[in-house]
Order: sequence, then C-alpha cells, then structure tokens
Amino acid sequence: MKSGKEKRPAGAPKQYYRRKKVCKFCVERIDVINYKDVKLLSQFVPERAKIMPRRISGVCSRHQRQLNDAIKKARNIALLPFATE
Amino acid sequence: MRNYEIMFIVNPTVAEEEIDKINAQVESIVTSGGGKIEKIEKMGKRRLAYEIDKHREGYYVLFVIGANGEIVKECERRLRVMDPVIKYITVRTDEEARRLDKIRNYRQKRAARRDSGVPAAPTQSIEEAMQ
Repeated sequence: MKSGKEKRPAGAPKQYYRRKKVCKFCVERIDVINYKDVKLLSQFVPERAKIMPRRISGVCSRHQRQLNDAIKKARNIALLPFATE
Repeated sequence: MRNYEIMFIVNPTVAEEEIDKINAQVESIVTSGGGKIEKIEKMGKRRLAYEIDKHREGYYVLFVIGANGEIVKECERRLRVMDPVIKYITVRTDEEARRLDKIRNYRQKRAARRDSGVPAAPTQSIEEAMQ
C-alpha cells in the first residue's frame, strides 16, 4: 500500500495499524537483568550478535540500559559472543 | 563490606582436583583478608561464545563473596597469574540488591494499602520509586 497516494477524507485517521510494543521487562516484572541469564539475554541479540535496538524490541529506556550492561558483562566472560563469524 | 561476584573460566582440560585447588586458593585469599564466602558454585563445562587462547570450551566457576576492594584486587591479581584460568570477571552486586529491596518494599506496601481499601497510588509513581 502506498500511503499518501490514496485519497483520504480530511481528518480521517491513517489506515495502517501497528501493534503497540511493550517492554518485556516491565510487563513480566523482571526486576533484575542478570548477566548470567543467557537465555533471557539471547532474546535480545539477533544472529549477528549485536544488541537489538529499542525501536525494534520495544524495551523501555531504563531496562534497555540495564540490558546493555548485562549483555556487555556476559560478552566479557564469553557467555555471549561479540560477533559471529 | 561489599558484595561481589567473581566468575572465572578454567581450562577444561585440567583435572577436577586442580579446579578445587584453585577454588581453595581463592577462598583462602578472601577469608584471610576478612571477607566471607557466601557461595561457591561450579557451573561446569560450557561452550565459550568465542575462542579464547584457542579454547572453545571452558569450566565456569562462580564465587559470591562479601569483601572489600583490597581483597578483590588480590583475587584478581592471583587469578591473572594462574595459568589454568582463562578469563575472569568481577561484578559488584550490593548496589543492585539494595535497589531491588526498595522496589520489593514498595510493592509490598502498595499491596497492603490496596488490601486495606485505600485506593492505591497511580502506577506512574512506581517508576519514580525505582529510580
């Protein structure tokens, strides 16, 4: 769909619908993001082993910050990769 | 007294007794310096996420201790010179634990308030409490 090309009556809302993203840590009440919890952290490192940006994962800024720290600690002790070859 | 976690990776080819020996050494450093050991956990063999000195696997050991900077410094120095130890990391945990306590307390208080029939504070304020 080419948005903008279609004629819309003035004032009508745009047609597309986006699911609201929510912060996993807020919703599930995960208070502490531990660097040893590889299973949890690996959900936020896609194939290339980069840290998933907030705009994609929907994590709130405070938890993203904590997540960042945890992932970096985990990388340091070889629980998570820095990069995949 | 501060709480720390020391995690280190030992060369997986060394014998189990060797690992116990390393643990005993670290333990003695901590206790002789006036610290206390809360937990020693051998997490066992794990695949490393990346290669370190040609090793693909490592034996993980976790220490949870109450200590001060001096002890940690000494532990790190010793771990650095020990040949079978591939890598180590020290993480301070008491600040995080204190923050967590605060949140728990706050939640409990809120729950109690709700039970007693007084309307609870708006959800927004939990964000402030966590700061």
